[in-house]
Amino acid sequence: MTTRPGPTVRQSVALVWRTLRSMRTALILLLVLAVGSVIGSLLPQIPNSPERVGRYLDDHGVWGTFLFRAGFFDVYGSWWFALITTLLFVSLAACLFPRTRAMMRALRQRPVQARELDAFRHHAELRVDHGPDAVAADAARYLRRKRFRVSRQDDGVAAEKGVLREVGSLLFHWAFFLLLVGVIVGKGTGFTGRAVVTEGETWIDARANYDGEIRTGRYFGGAHTGLGIELLDFDDSYRRNGLPIDFVSRLRFRDREGSPLGVEEIRVNHPTSRDGVRIFQEGFGWAPVVTAALDGESMWSSPIEMTRDEAPDGVPATAMPWRGAIKLTAPEPDVMISLELWSDYRAFANLQLTGRPTPMLVQFDPLIRYSVYVGRIADPARSSIDTRGLRRVARGDLHAARSDGTDVPGVGELTLSFPELRQYSVLLISRDVGIPMVLAAAILVLVGLIPALYVSRRKVWVRAEAAPGGALVKIGGFALQRKDSFENEFDAIVRAVGARSSASQRTSERPGPDERVTTS
Amino acid sequence: MNAARLSSTAFDLTLWLYLGAMVLSFAYLAARRDLLWKVARVVAIAGASANLVSIVARGVAAQRVPWGNMFEYSTVLAFLVVVGTLVFVEGVAKIKTLTGFSLMFSVLTLAIAAMFFPVEPSPLQPALNSYWIKIHVVAAITGSSLFAIGGIATILFLIKDRSERRALSVLRDGTPPPIMGGAIEIDAPHDLLPDPEGSGTPAPDPARGGVLPSAAALDRVAYRVIAFAFPIWTFAVIAGAIWAQDAWGRYWGWDPKETWSFVTWTIFAGYLHARSTAGWKGRRAAVIAVVGFVSLLITYYAVNLWIVGLHSYKNG
Ligand code: HEM
Repeated sequence: MTTRPGPTVRQSVALVWRTLRSMRTALILLLVLAVGSVIGSLLPQIPNSPERVGRYLDDHGVWGTFLFRAGFFDVYGSWWFALITTLLFVSLAACLFPRTRAMMRALRQRPVQARELDAFRHHAELRVDHGPDAVAADAARYLRRKRFRVSRQDDGVAAEKGVLREVGSLLFHWAFFLLLVGVIVGKGTGFTGRAVVTEGETWIDARANYDGEIRTGRYFGGAHTGLGIELLDFDDSYRRNGLPIDFVSRLRFRDREGSPLGVEEIRVNHPTSRDGVRIFQEGFGWAPVVTAALDGESMWSSPIEMTRDEAPDGVPATAMPWRGAIKLTAPEPDVMISLELWSDYRAFANLQLTGRPTPMLVQFDPLIRYSVYVGRIADPARSSIDTRGLRRVARGDLHAARSDGTDVPGVGELTLSFPELRQYSVLLISRDVGIPMVLAAAILVLVGLIPALYVSRRKVWVRAEAAPGGALVKIGGFALQRKDSFENEFDAIVRAVGARSSASQRTSERPGPDERVTTS
Repeated sequence: MNAARLSSTAFDLTLWLYLGAMVLSFAYLAARRDLLWKVARVVAIAGASANLVSIVARGVAAQRVPWGNMFEYSTVLAFLVVVGTLVFVEGVAKIKTLTGFSLMFSVLTLAIAAMFFPVEPSPLQPALNSYWIKIHVVAAITGSSLFAIGGIATILFLIKDRSERRALSVLRDGTPPPIMGGAIEIDAPHDLLPDPEGSGTPAPDPARGGVLPSAAALDRVAYRVIAFAFPIWTFAVIAGAIWAQDAWGRYWGWDPKETWSFVTWTIFAGYLHARSTAGWKGRRAAVIAVVGFVSLLITYYAVNLWIVGLHSYKNG
């Protein structure tokens, strides 16, 4: 029994390479990438909106789980997206190597002479009354002046123009590799995270100080700068109609040792950079300073970075109160004080009186409404307000610059005060050393694209032979692009070649109408 | 009259003038009276002027560049589509028959803007207040308007190409002529071809008949306009990335708007390859261009209306 021999390894490799080399493969891969991107824009994505992914999973059962496993909720970070991109770039490289080699060769070579000039799409024949040498010299001069690359051999002239098209096209295509390198290096060695800094406080760039998740590249060694960022002041300004004008953080930077480096303002769209990290204004919020004492012993006196309640439909976000909590685990049982802040008392009063929500755009007699809970705190995280396992024992109001006291049964006498209302600023901190490369690649893409699209390649040959009373001149040529405008250019060349002659006579026809129909 | 009122009056006027010019342009296609075409053109230019007044007055009213929300993008888009058609298609390519369709596109664009995204002139939110976004938006709208013209030309090309093929098949084997696209219409100037069967009766040249210019001419103008649009769109995407880097700390985040502008870019890159390299002229390339046009409309409308993202600034 014999089996037919399968293709050898060499044959298979050659086949794969041939497939990758074809432009069709590259374009199909590009379109597949586009389809993948579309899917990513239609399904919620984990990096952008994890809550929506959770909801989708809850609603879609097995189907959702399947999509999840296949990476459809993180399309742009999925293995298959990376695979398609890799194949695309391999294919692109396979396309580009032979083209680049051919272009190098063409650039080094002088234009090659041709024989049968009347075989070209555009051709003409002239009778002139001067010698072939003068004709060839005239033709070469004219074509050079028209920026053709010209080579002359005896009485024959070969000229071509428009190599810039291929140069531009190759530049354009190769630039994507620079883009890829820029993206990989930048994302691979960089990170992005968020810093929450309250007015008057200093935040240090170190892993532990980031708020929530920090996204780091695979090759980011964890070397944070130790840069200190002190928020001197945050300012949010609004128009009368409640639309924001700007959000500005005034920052003082400090080096590792804590010495000040200078003060800078950052605002939306105007980030700054220090020690290789860029710092962006991203968000802000209220951070009331609240003190809590039990039986006269101070338990807490720090700003509390609050989060704003989500606004229901039709209610401006600025009308919603802010929430935070103080958690005291030293006493037995635990004490949690949940706080609800109204930065503008008038908005609170208005809501009580008329039921209408009012935007709070400025600080005006701020009010904190508090509730005191005792029991066992389930979630010790500073930002969570989880009342599971807790029992409310008291509530009250606290106005700025005043204090309020209440007896907490079994724990002691609680005194709260609200000395000042500060703001905090959320700063996006990121490091991406690939940005200059990506920008350079983008510029090269554009610079290459323009000649790749608009320059047309054309070739022209002129050949003169001695004839009785002068010379017989044959001119031939073609254009690979913009064939219709080449017709005029060709006519001008024919006229220029015969110009010196007092009695030049064109004896050939222009391309016939049936040929013209196919021009593009 | 204050600037906001002027802008909104000019907007209404624009809509009516475009509508009138559109009807006149189609009347010209049907009747082929040069006078109709001349009047249509005057009305279209008047409409474009009113459109420009509406844009400028809006800028004065809002005290900023007048392209800050969907309503304003649409006003500018409608203007550029009409002007682009008058300049490139009528002026450079000498094709008169596209104008009515471009006017129709602009009328729809303005009507949709008035119905779905009316906004009073107002200042921009801080994230939108950067000069990169001004550049980005101008490039994106210019690119979109040219892609739209290319899309319109391509759709007409497909219609005309089909009727030319049918007409050829009539010449060959006598299938009845189609009605749509009007390959063989009684009132059109016909170039006469010798009858292929040589029976002596002259047959019409399918490329010349009907209300539309030849398929080859439509294909050519579509290609040129799209090739012109492509680098502009590329630049728009790059400018958008530069702005995103400043505003959000990353140049690319696969936000739906970014994703769809990439998809549109990809499809038109495919079209250009099909046309200029693979020699895929004609129908197959045209289908890619139509897909690109649809993708452009999704980028423009659907993303702002239905898909949530950082870019959804429809309310300014
Ligand atoms: C891998 C195989 C590829 C090959 C062989 C290839 C080949 C070419 C060639 C020969 C041209 C120049 C056409 C001309 O001079 O008329 C060109 C242009 C162009 N290529 Fe590619 N290309 C490939 C992949 C890509 C990819 C992946 C992209 C997109 C990212 C792309 C985008 C473009 C664009 C936009 C143009 C300009 C339009 C044009 O002149 O056709 N190409 N390509």
